[in-house]
Amino acid sequence: MSASNGIIVKTKNLTKHFGHIVAVDDLSIEVHKGEAFGFLGPNGSGKSTTMGMILGLIAPTSGSAEVFGLEAQHNLPSILPRVGAVMETPGLYPYLSGRDNLKVFARLSDHISDKRIDEVLDLVEMSSRAKDKFSNYSMGMKQRLAIACALLHNPELIIMDEPTNGLDPAGMKEIRELIIELSKQGKTIFLNSHLLHEVEQVCERVAIIKKGKIVVQGLVKELVKAGDVLQIKVNEPDKAMAILGGQKWISSVNKEGDYILLGVKADKAVDVSALLAKDGIFAAEIKAKENSLEKFFLEQTEEEANA
Amino acid sequence: MLNMIKVELTKLRKRKMTWILLVVLAAFFCIMVFAAYGITESPPEHMPEESVGELRSLLQFPDATGLIFSTARQIGTLLMIILVASAVGNEYGWGTIRQVLIRRGNRYKYIIAKLVAFIIAAAIGLVISLIIGFVLVSITSNLLGSINWDFITSSYVGEFFRMFGWTLFSLLPYILLAFFFAFLGRSALAGIGGGLGLYFIESIVVVILSNAGGWLAKIPHYLIGPNADVLVPSIEMQGGPFASSGDAPSTLWAAMAVLIYSVVLLGISLWMFKKRDITA
Ligand SMILES: Nc1ncnc2c1ncn2[C@@H]1O[C@H](COP(=O)(O)OP(=O)(O)OP(=O)(O)O)[C@@H](O)[C@H]1O
Ligand SMILES: [Mg+2]
Repeated sequence: MSASNGIIVKTKNLTKHFGHIVAVDDLSIEVHKGEAFGFLGPNGSGKSTTMGMILGLIAPTSGSAEVFGLEAQHNLPSILPRVGAVMETPGLYPYLSGRDNLKVFARLSDHISDKRIDEVLDLVEMSSRAKDKFSNYSMGMKQRLAIACALLHNPELIIMDEPTNGLDPAGMKEIRELIIELSKQGKTIFLNSHLLHEVEQVCERVAIIKKGKIVVQGLVKELVKAGDVLQIKVNEPDKAMAILGGQKWISSVNKEGDYILLGVKADKAVDVSALLAKDGIFAAEIKAKENSLEKFFLEQTEEEANA
Repeated sequence: MLNMIKVELTKLRKRKMTWILLVVLAAFFCIMVFAAYGITESPPEHMPEESVGELRSLLQFPDATGLIFSTARQIGTLLMIILVASAVGNEYGWGTIRQVLIRRGNRYKYIIAKLVAFIIAAAIGLVISLIIGFVLVSITSNLLGSINWDFITSSYVGEFFRMFGWTLFSLLPYILLAFFFAFLGRSALAGIGGGLGLYFIESIVVVILSNAGGWLAKIPHYLIGPNADVLVPSIEMQGGPFASSGDAPSTLWAAMAVLIYSVVLLGISLWMFKKRDITA
């Protein structure tokens, strides 16, 4: 349909102000065809606002969002039939049954058969409760029905805003498995989350957002890679560096502030301290260097704990 | 578009509130007709004989037709404000508005589909009012004498359909008023409060101004209610504001006023809805 070069979602300097609040600040991200992309950030960081702009619900203050290579604001009727979205709160009609809700939304898309409604109900394991009113569902059921609703028209791009919010661990697991399954089917997934481990489990690539700005982005595999750098603090750093530099099993030795960084797996910490002890050098501190994902999240939780 | 209208109608039909409002409508008709009948049976002492006679004829055909239409317009206005405001406002409260808009993305179509559904609902409500009204008046006619269907002539039928059209038409600006306030406040409460509030304030202001005389008495010509009253005369109006001043606007004026209010309210709603962000 369009020459989007395998890029499904692209934001260019996307910015949104609500009065004096800058919710999203000069955000540029790309989501590739077929990947599961994690959009990770703490509460109030601008995830939902970004999603709203991608879906045309919120008008950007400046910059733009493109979906399937089309500028979002002015091409919604061509874009939206290919997109399914699960909102932050499962907004469906409380007085309608699960099935009637799906019927209502099915009518708004073209050519969705009753069979398809049964299929998605099965997929989210809601068939047995399909006749009950939406208002009588538990939080998890509501969330699952919202997912069914987003999948009705078999969209190529699925955008989810914290779909495991309010679910118990088993419910979370089910939803994550479902997302992984959808990803395997070749769907492009855009997942908003504030849970690091969720993104780790489900996504291949991640962007971390804080106060509307991108902090890091990259492949989850690389960002999460832990324990390959050992960080030590010793009483005689220069002597220690000379000793460690001569070891074949240590791939690199660098100085960073008071610390020495060693290119070695974390489980070699004992060997390192034994080696240094032989020459009367003692490590005051020795630990695996935090990778960027964890570091960011630790900072975040610290801030929240202090607040 | 047709599908969207059907969806809106389905949503109305499956709501309990719609049916509750219908029950209120029916109950109101019953109470009004039987209360009036009660008065004709044992009139209060101070009530002049001719007023009792007038009331009697209102409970019999063909005069009853006017009573039924005017009642349907008045109670219909209130009920439609409630129905419209809830149907529009609750979509915000439930968060369903986003679900709907991310299916199609055309906000104008969403508004128009809703509006058409409301007009259809109003028409159905009006038909039901008429059926209830006719059944009730058949009963009172029989009680007050015997019923005679001779009044149904071709000119009566023409008049009947004209009244039907005017009644529906005069509901339109109030439907749009509730529509506007519900969108403005993004809630059912805002729609009901704004719609009913303005409706009542307007009726009070009209009475005060009409009695004030001079140019002040002309102001009601520019409001909604008095013009709707011209299209579908209220029964009380025979002794009401314009009757006393003898200064009712013409039918053409009234129709234009109702139309202009409707168009302007729709225009503002569309413009506002098109531009605004849908968050939360
Ligand atoms: N309609 C609005 N009016 C004013 N400010 C808003 C509005 N919507 C969002 N904001 C502000 O924009 C910022 C980003 O909010 P947003 O909902 O996008 O965050 P989020 O990352 O989705 O957070 P959460 O994890 O809590 O869902 C917040 O500071 C929020 O208060
Ligand atoms: Mg959010």
